[in-house]
Amino acid sequence: MRRLTWLPVVLAVTLSPGGLAAQTIQNATLRRAQQAFENLEYRQALTGGQAALRERLTGFERARAYEILAFTFSAMDSILRAVDAFKQVVLLEPERELDPNRTSPKALSAFQVALTQVLVVRQLRVDSVEFIGGQGVVGMRYTVTQPARVVTRVVGPAALKIDSSVANGQVNLRWPARLDSGDPVPAGTYTVVVEATVGQNSFSASQRIQIAHGAVDTLPHLISLPGYEYLPETEVPPKSWRPLGLALVYSGIALAGTSALSSGDLGSASLREASVVGTGVILAGFVMTLKKPAPQPARGNILYNRLLREQLARRNQEIAQENVRRRQQVEVRVVPLPKTGASR
Amino acid sequence: MRRLAVGVGLALLPGAAAAQHVVVGPQAVFGDYVEVSSDLHYRGTGGGVAGTFTWKQLSVDASVAGVTYDPTADGTATASFKATQFDMRLRYYVTGPVSAEVGFMSRKAKPEFEAQSVGAVRAGARMSYLLGPGVRMGLHGGMLFGSKFSGGGTVSPIGALELGLTMGVDALRGRLRFTGDYDFQRISRKTDDGSGSVDVPIQQSLGRVGVALVF
Repeated sequence: MRRLTWLPVVLAVTLSPGGLAAQTIQNATLRRAQQAFENLEYRQALTGGQAALRERLTGFERARAYEILAFTFSAMDSILRAVDAFKQVVLLEPERELDPNRTSPKALSAFQVALTQVLVVRQLRVDSVEFIGGQGVVGMRYTVTQPARVVTRVVGPAALKIDSSVANGQVNLRWPARLDSGDPVPAGTYTVVVEATVGQNSFSASQRIQIAHGAVDTLPHLISLPGYEYLPETEVPPKSWRPLGLALVYSGIALAGTSALSSGDLGSASLREASVVGTGVILAGFVMTLKKPAPQPARGNILYNRLLREQLARRNQEIAQENVRRRQQVEVRVVPLPKTGASR
Repeated sequence: MRRLAVGVGLALLPGAAAAQHVVVGPQAVFGDYVEVSSDLHYRGTGGGVAGTFTWKQLSVDASVAGVTYDPTADGTATASFKATQFDMRLRYYVTGPVSAEVGFMSRKAKPEFEAQSVGAVRAGARMSYLLGPGVRMGLHGGMLFGSKFSGGGTVSPIGALELGLTMGVDALRGRLRFTGDYDFQRISRKTDDGSGSVDVPIQQSLGRVGVALVF
């Protein structure tokens, strides 16, 4: 008895508003059957569920009725009948999943067996992506429950066959969203249709997607290279006594030379003129020594900056070429749309 | 002088000014002059004009100075005289601080017999150095060849020498330049009055301080 205590919980969770798209059971017979199941009155639940199936039910209610039967049969160890009931559930709701943490292993295995005995395409998913036309793919995946010939198409402003193969289990597809000519598919609303066929049985699932076109972002021109900065093209040399020294040397040579060159017959030469100009030279040398040296061109930095400017110009030229190419490209944006109807 | 004026005029034309520059301005001149012996010793002051025309590696310096020399108290000379000196130097930049110079000089004395008028061709070298932004100095030296004197006389090939010191300080963003120049000349002149060769040397120290416009 202990193992059966969770069954009402499972069903309650399964049938709760949050569990299945906020649909509710309106049929009174089915509600009674559910109540009986929750009270562990399995015979009444079976009777009620079977009676409800003979009445006019919505697809949701019909799926719930089969689910009550499936869980009840599982609880009563009637596995084959439970599998049959679960097959009906899967056919009505291919996306139906049971929570393995809240479902009895017996019901879970019956559900898994049921999945392998019907042909359905489940869990069709299309990724939401953005890419430059011709340079990306749209990821798609689905699960087919039996080995089958599966054809995947896209139908909309353009009709394209994406894939055709024999598959079983999960299938991953990569669609470049291109026409045969290589151009991106036109913008619009498309439907991805996955059709599986085994003999006379076939099943198809679909997913609507919106494909939009946009302009490809162009690259901004660079004003600097990351990590590289211009260096100052002049640098102030360290202070030096050289100007004063040279002024003293030059003035000294002029004075000494005057004395040396003067004629002995004419007496000592006048040094007044040399002294006046020499003093001016020495004064200028002294001032220049005290003064902050003038910035001198830094050859290494100039060459470095020239190299940097050339690199920047080259990179911007490449960016300009890339932008010309990008302006001719189109950005494809693929967004899956919410499902509005059931697959069949 | 006329040719110099034409050259300076051409240099000031707008189209030519871009590739060259001209410096021209007045100068205050003061000098010391000794001739024959220390007894004929003069000192004087005066004025002048100097200009420099630079084009690529070539420079032309020209200056005119008028100095009124008065006898000094320690000498025996009694009369003053006025010396008008014209200097011309064509300079070519060689390498580093070194430039080569050629040119000529002419000094005329009035009254004519108070001092010797002299003319000579010069050749020498100049070393220039930039002390700092807009401040330059130079030392030049050379020899005077083919000296001619109003009173006659000769000079041995290495008998006439000159030495000079120059400086220039730019102001007003290089539009104005203060200049200072020192020139020393010693000419070992010899004459022969029939009794043999007599030394009659000439020696002059000339200082010039001025201001010039830079174009």
